[in-house]
Formats: sequence, C-alpha cells, structure tokens
Amino acid sequence: MAATAGASPLISMHSRPSHSFQHGLATLRVSGLKPVSLSFYGRSSLSFRMRPLPVRLQVSCAAKPETVEKVCNIVKKQLALPDDSTVTGESKFAALGADSLDTVEIVMGLEEEFGISVEEESAQSIATVQDAADLIEKLIEKK
Amino acid sequence: MEKGVRRWVVDVSKWDPSPHDFCSVLSLLPQHQRSFVTRFVRMEDRKRALVSQLLQYALVHEVLGIPFDEITINRTLEGKPYLGNDNAGLEFPNFNFNVSHHGDYVAIASEPLCLVGLDIVSYDIPPKETVLEFIQNFSSYFSSLEWDNIVNAGSCDGILAEFYRYWCLKEAYVKAIGSGLAYGLDKVEFLHTRWTNISVKINGEDTREWRFWLFELGKGHWASIARGHPRSATESYRKTLQGSEFNLEEYHKGLHLPNVDFVSRTIEELISVLHGEAYKIPGDERNT
Repeated sequence: MAATAGASPLISMHSRPSHSFQHGLATLRVSGLKPVSLSFYGRSSLSFRMRPLPVRLQVSCAAKPETVEKVCNIVKKQLALPDDSTVTGESKFAALGADSLDTVEIVMGLEEEFGISVEEESAQSIATVQDAADLIEKLIEKK
Repeated sequence: MEKGVRRWVVDVSKWDPSPHDFCSVLSLLPQHQRSFVTRFVRMEDRKRALVSQLLQYALVHEVLGIPFDEITINRTLEGKPYLGNDNAGLEFPNFNFNVSHHGDYVAIASEPLCLVGLDIVSYDIPPKETVLEFIQNFSSYFSSLEWDNIVNAGSCDGILAEFYRYWCLKEAYVKAIGSGLAYGLDKVEFLHTRWTNISVKINGEDTREWRFWLFELGKGHWASIARGHPRSATESYRKTLQGSEFNLEEYHKGLHLPNVDFVSRTIEELISVLHGEAYKIPGDERNT
C-alpha cells in the first residue's frame, strides 16, 4: 500500500451501483452516459521530459495529492499492478499498460468514485494520472 | 499488388529474454525508437513493444526492400506509426501498416492501397465483475443492434465472446483511420453473417468501402483486420499517405485483394533479418 500521511481509504472496485440491472437485460444501455474518448496510442509524442516535482512545488491549479492518490489506486487496481509499483501523477496510462478496455473502465471507475461525468472532449486530454486528477477536481468544483 | 498484403504474428509467450538479451535486441532499433519500448513500466509490455518495432522494420525491409538503416518510421500526433520514406513506386500506391499487441501475441498487417487497421483481443474473463457488469461499462460504444446481439447471445460465455468480437472490430476501424479515439463508435455499426462478410454502417450509411475479417489466433486470442478507404483517415494520418483519392476501379481493386491468413514469425527470424542487415555481415546468406 502507498504509505502516505493521511492515506485515503482503499477504493473498492465492487462498489458499482446496480441500478442499471433492475429492469433486466433489455435496459442495460444507460442513456445519458456519453461515450468516453481517450487516446489509445499513449500520445508519447507529447510527453515532456520533466523530472517529477515534489508535491509542495506543484502549481496551485494542480489537484490535491489525495485526489492523485485515489486515481493512482483506481489505476493500479484496474491494471492489476502490484501495490509497490510506482504510479505517480506523471504516470501515463498507456505506459502503465492500459489498453482501450482498461482506459474506459478506469474513467468509469473515476466517474463512480468521484460522482462526476466525464465528457468526451475532456477525456481526450487525459494522458496521465495528474491529468485525470486535475479534471476530476475541476468537475467536482463545477457541481 | 497482392504482395503488399501481409499478416504476420509472433507468439511472445515463449520468449523469455534475460535483461542483457533484451538490451541487445533493443539496441538493434534506431535510437529514437527505443523510448517507445522503454516508456512501458511492465516488462511484459516492453517485450511486446519491442517485438512490435521489430515487426515494423522487418516488414518494411522484406516487402519494400528498403535497407534497414534507410527505413524511417515516424508517428502521427495520435501515435500511429507510418513509413516516412518515399513510397515504393506504383506497385504499392499507398503502402501502410498497423500493429497490435495483446497478451501472448504481437502482430502486424499491411496493405498496398487501402487503409489497414489491426487489433488483437483476448478472451479475458473479468476478474472482479460479472460479465454483465463488465460489458455495461462499454454500452455507449455500441449501436442498439449490436448491443442486442451481445446481450442476447445466450450464456455469459457467449455474451462475452460477442462483446470482444465487436470491440475488436471497432478497434481495428479506429486504428485504421488513425484517430486513436473511440469517438462516436455507437455510430459505427458492424453487420455480418455469422462473423463473415463483415461490413460497417457509418452514421447509418453502408458505403461498401470497408471490409473486415476476424481471425482466431489461438489460446483465446482473436485478431481483427479492417480494410478501408484512405479518405476516411483522420487528417493527421491522411497527410502521411501517398494518396487518398482513387477512382472507383482502382479502389475496388485494392479493396478486393485477397485477404491472407496470418503467418507465424519467430523472434529469432525477425532478429536475423535485422541483425544481418544491421551488422552487414559480409557474405552472410541472410542478406540475399
């Protein structure tokens, strides 16, 4: 487990609402959920070679470390990464081995965990854990 | 033109290189390509990425005869690799290729005129959800018809298999056009007869410009091939093509080229293709 002060509670991947199944298979399609688009090629050509900044030096518009950590946990679970693997804000989903199915599930997991809805256009710009955390906080603020 | 149609696959499960061996194979690649391998955190992903690169160089070398150190492979902004060299003359008016890697397999497909897209999926049972919970995550990517076909496929096994087949085809389409985005895939509807004669309706229109195939690679893995019109490519990918406009006759020639089965290649073969070239061993049989 990541050993940070004030660590967030473990995210359970089993906590999916089952409302969609109340009426049987015919209504499995949940209307209103917009398709999520993400880059499946990892956008490596846009990577910046920055050394990771210590948390306290991050710019003020970046997400809180707790949010970043929650995202890291969701990602680690989805990709079945060992607990001691290094997943940080700079980690790119693609580089962690996320394929198209993983990426959709990660975003769905984030939507559920944070109670938000991610629009296609915004999802397109998510390449790293930090991107996701920043977007999450922006969406939470809007609520 | 048929010679431009290739389908190669490598089973990487049997390749277990020591870190030293891995490094020496990696060093066969041009410097700027190595980061596409090393950016991956997990060794399994690095392995697959390395083989993917080997396949690209070996294919271009074998099919187009370009010497290894003259091959330029670039990537679009979305990350799709393409051949940077000036194309190999009129025999292949639009040579392009696509790679995919998943699970035990890494594969490459090429076409001489049409766009080609390739995707590999493996029949993985979702570890933490029921099949229905799992597929529900992706419901917005399917048309109503496709979704009905999936959920009415009978057993959970059947449902999961239908799901993966449709997903694989959609991915091949997305990758063929080079968009890297799963935008509006509910409007990309696949039609088929027991998974043969696979075609697509885009925004309700069956343009008859695309053909698709599904292959069982083995060990619960499937590969899909998409073949379609170059003008469907996204702008950034279209710029890399030799041509995107063809008259009807030319285009149909390309569209109806025979589709070939996947040919198994070994990593040793690929390495010897490139190794021989890279080191230019004089008198080496492999160079001829």
